[in-house]
Amino acid sequence: MSIQYEDPTLAGSYDVVGSFPKSFGYGAEEQDLEENCSTSADKPRILLMGLRRSGKSSIQKVVFHKMSPNETLFLESTNKIYKDDISSSSFVNFQIWDFPGQVDFLDPTFDSEMIFKGTGALIFVIDAQDDYVEALERLHLTVSRAYKVNPDINFEVFIHKVDGLSDDHKIETQRDIHQRANDELADANLEKLHLSLYLTSIYDHSIFEAFSKVVQKLLPQLPTLENLLNIFISHSGIEKAFLFDVVSKIYIATDSSPVDMQSYELCCDMIDVVIDVSCIYGLMQDGSGCAYDKESSAIIRLNNSTVLYLKEVTKFLALVCILREESFERKGLIEYNFHCFRKAIHEVFEVGNLPQGGRSSSNNLTGLTYAGAHNGSAV
Amino acid sequence: MEKMSRVTTALGSSAINGRTMFCHLDAPANAISVCRDASQVVVAGRNIFKIYALEEDQFVEKLNLRVGRKPSLNFSCADVMWHQMEENLLATAATNGAVVTWNLGKPSRNKQDQLFTEHKRTVNKVCFHPTEVYMLLSGSQDGFMKCFDLRKKESVSTFSGQSESVRDVQFSMKDYFTFAASFENGNVQLWDIRRPDRYERMFTAHTGPVFCCDWHPDDRGWLATGGRDKMVKVWDMTTNRAKEIFCVQTIASVARVKWRPEKKFHLATCSMMVDHNIYVWDVRRPFIPFATFEEHKDVTTGIVWRHQHDPHFLLSGSKDSTLYQHMFKDATRPVDKANPEGLCFGLFGDLAFAAKESLISSDSNRKPYPGGDRRYPIFFFKKPDQTEQFAHVSSALSVFETDLDSNCMDWFVKTAQLYLLCGKPFAELCDHNAKVARELKRPQVSTTWTMLRIMFSDPANLTPGPNHPLSKLGTLPLMNSFNMKEMNSGMGAESRLERSKGESRQDNSHLEPGNSLISNNNEDNEETEGSEGQAEYMFGDAELDDDDLYSMEHDNQTEEQEYTLPQEAFQLRHEIMDNPSAPEHLQQDKADSPHVSGNEAEVTCLTPIESFSLISISQPLFTPQLPASFFCPIVREMLSYYAEKGDVQMAVSVLIVLGERIRKEIDDLTQEHWYTYIDLLQRFELWNGPMR
Repeated sequence: MSIQYEDPTLAGSYDVVGSFPKSFGYGAEEQDLEENCSTSADKPRILLMGLRRSGKSSIQKVVFHKMSPNETLFLESTNKIYKDDISSSSFVNFQIWDFPGQVDFLDPTFDSEMIFKGTGALIFVIDAQDDYVEALERLHLTVSRAYKVNPDINFEVFIHKVDGLSDDHKIETQRDIHQRANDELADANLEKLHLSLYLTSIYDHSIFEAFSKVVQKLLPQLPTLENLLNIFISHSGIEKAFLFDVVSKIYIATDSSPVDMQSYELCCDMIDVVIDVSCIYGLMQDGSGCAYDKESSAIIRLNNSTVLYLKEVTKFLALVCILREESFERKGLIEYNFHCFRKAIHEVFEVGNLPQGGRSSSNNLTGLTYAGAHNGSAV
Repeated sequence: MEKMSRVTTALGSSAINGRTMFCHLDAPANAISVCRDASQVVVAGRNIFKIYALEEDQFVEKLNLRVGRKPSLNFSCADVMWHQMEENLLATAATNGAVVTWNLGKPSRNKQDQLFTEHKRTVNKVCFHPTEVYMLLSGSQDGFMKCFDLRKKESVSTFSGQSESVRDVQFSMKDYFTFAASFENGNVQLWDIRRPDRYERMFTAHTGPVFCCDWHPDDRGWLATGGRDKMVKVWDMTTNRAKEIFCVQTIASVARVKWRPEKKFHLATCSMMVDHNIYVWDVRRPFIPFATFEEHKDVTTGIVWRHQHDPHFLLSGSKDSTLYQHMFKDATRPVDKANPEGLCFGLFGDLAFAAKESLISSDSNRKPYPGGDRRYPIFFFKKPDQTEQFAHVSSALSVFETDLDSNCMDWFVKTAQLYLLCGKPFAELCDHNAKVARELKRPQVSTTWTMLRIMFSDPANLTPGPNHPLSKLGTLPLMNSFNMKEMNSGMGAESRLERSKGESRQDNSHLEPGNSLISNNNEDNEETEGSEGQAEYMFGDAELDDDDLYSMEHDNQTEEQEYTLPQEAFQLRHEIMDNPSAPEHLQQDKADSPHVSGNEAEVTCLTPIESFSLISISQPLFTPQLPASFFCPIVREMLSYYAEKGDVQMAVSVLIVLGERIRKEIDDLTQEHWYTYIDLLQRFELWNGPMR
């Protein structure tokens, strides 16, 4: 079997979904931030692997192309490696490689060196509603091979399609898969290789949450971002804040209080509303204009005396906050703090984009203290 | 009692007393902790770090640890813990990843002792070793747990959970070297403090993050965990594989869980979102909280029992910026508000009713249930202290069985055997059958027979029998028709005429399109137009008035519906495949047409509407002058009613007894349906009267 690589830059690849224009309507002039990022060749990659019909393409379509979960029923099975470069529309600076289920590692044309070398995370999808013995074998084969080539890969296992399982059954499945997979790894002397397990389904937000965690692990700036958010919300009287990648609705950072599924879903819905309205009524007749730009912001008051507050941070990121109505009375303060926060975020990523190894945490901390000072003065 | 003596020694001479009280904090609290002798409590939050003294009836602010002109982020606390051995020692977890210890014995204003900035992300939890003075454990968002020796400048060992953020760490009360850690991916890990390279044991406890865990203070093997999946689970860790022994389902994600001192099965929980109450559960009764504290106006963030051997005081801090001391005796008992009565129907019409024993025991008639009275198991032995047990929950369960006779087919068989359907004069047959029915406790049927006798007997014999239970007239269709007529006759003759005309016209029009074909086939059919026809429709009218309550437009469709539905039930019961709606039309039609043409006597009496009205006004309807066939439509209706009810037996019996008097009222198909009674009799092997 020979494997063909599909050029991701073909606009046609997006037509399959048809729900999102490739550039997401961003203006070409707004390329201040991610302009100087590294070329696509050495971008960290996320690989999606798993047996055929396990739901890889569905995950990709739902998370990154806004496909409705019900439509994924009609997806054809993938038969070649589908390389999707989402960095032009999303903050997530990654390539998602959707492998067909039947990749043969022993095939000489399969260049495992090339594939696994620049990979940040390998997501292995297991269909929980199916018998997963074969999938576990496959998992073992895949991760051990990838580990040999590149021991720095994060191995993530999505126990997928759990929407049909009861709570007890979910836990039992997770336990079982964890047990078997790790036993096998232990037998192969690969104890160091660590698998993270997630229970996912495309019919709720669990797939987004799992992807968020996968992406967060690959973000060197995460501690800084979290800290900034912590500072921001404690000085502004905000209950919960997410930093969202607007296209995929993945949250790349949140403050350190636990994530409640309902709040997360609420924020996702808010982004959908804002972007949809903006796409439908905000664009020019000929389709030009931006659905999401510097001025994008939204405030939604809920009937339980909480407020949802969305603000643009960078051209791919949005801050979505949940706060109480009382706190929102001090809107000026919140806006000033947000201004400082936004500036700090920009600095963090500029530091990250410095050509000479600027990703060290010490450099990031300068951005942090700077922001801290600003926030402090705002209170 | 050994335990009691220990309590008293622990509390010393100054037994704790106090009341439910609260104080306002300046900012939302994230966590609280008490010192060992239960005299002081520390409150920590993002913008607060204070120590309050617990006095008899109030909190008194003792110390503000948040000092300095511009407090650093190290003061922004996610968690706080007061050392249980060393009175002056506190530790806090900061949101910026710092672990800070505080020494209250320091003379300076700033009590900060040591600062560890080894975690990259927020530290969620700090925990002192229960017996080792210098050992502190921290768990952070970055997935690491670190053990600090307070005599050293940095951590002595780092434990990598390798599975996301650590939400809680707890040293075991009994095993010196063991601690438990709970994670955001639903796992719980057990570690040996001496072995940082690998966990001793790991298991998946919840779907979604596990926010908290707590070791049982007395039982070394028990670990309680609470998670975002709204469950509190109690695990037995002594077995090879962690076994879930109790599970409590709450209504919101569980933020904290704390075992209640001195009560083996009690634990307190508070939730992270939505729900502001603190619940104390008895894990053996997971469906209703044992006690509830409802004081807080916002999410409760920290709960702690005031003294480790005193189960009566609970302290709590909340996002609503208050600190509460709850007295256990002031708690709400949800069980008091729960409805202690339950009612349920069984599959075969049995009725089960559970109620407090006191309510039922007064009922002396109650027969003991064959299986013995099933009562709730009572696991609370009578204890003198009423507040420490669930409300007296013993209740009695009564099962009311439906009369078996009405359920099985006994009555059917008996009736079939005893009914006389021919061979005697009509009136006697009716009387006999009425008697049979009455003996079988079927008053409605019995009354029907009596009524039939009255209607169709020779007018001269019409004297209500002594056993005529008119008062209990149960034949519904009959009654309705009568009532209807009386009411109608009460109306002025003119309006009556108008109405009947209008409706008869309507009737005509609706019957025509559907049934013209059928009427042609009917050999008995004669002219139905003219005044006679109108008079005839009077009866239809009386019926239809009833229907008009439901639909004024009385078109074909509604009629069909009306008949189809019951017919179906009837069919199902007797397993006959036939099209129900068509014959019904036929029946309607036929019932009308032969009526007009067939019976001369009736026509003479009924033809002019005016005369009828006069009659109905001047005298009661059951005048002997009325011919028997006057009642035919009513009887027909009644038969349909019984058939629909599933009592074909009655329908067929009446049909046979009345014989020619009624037969032509009812079309052959329907009659055929009803004669499946014969099949039923065959099934019961009752070879008697009707079979002939």
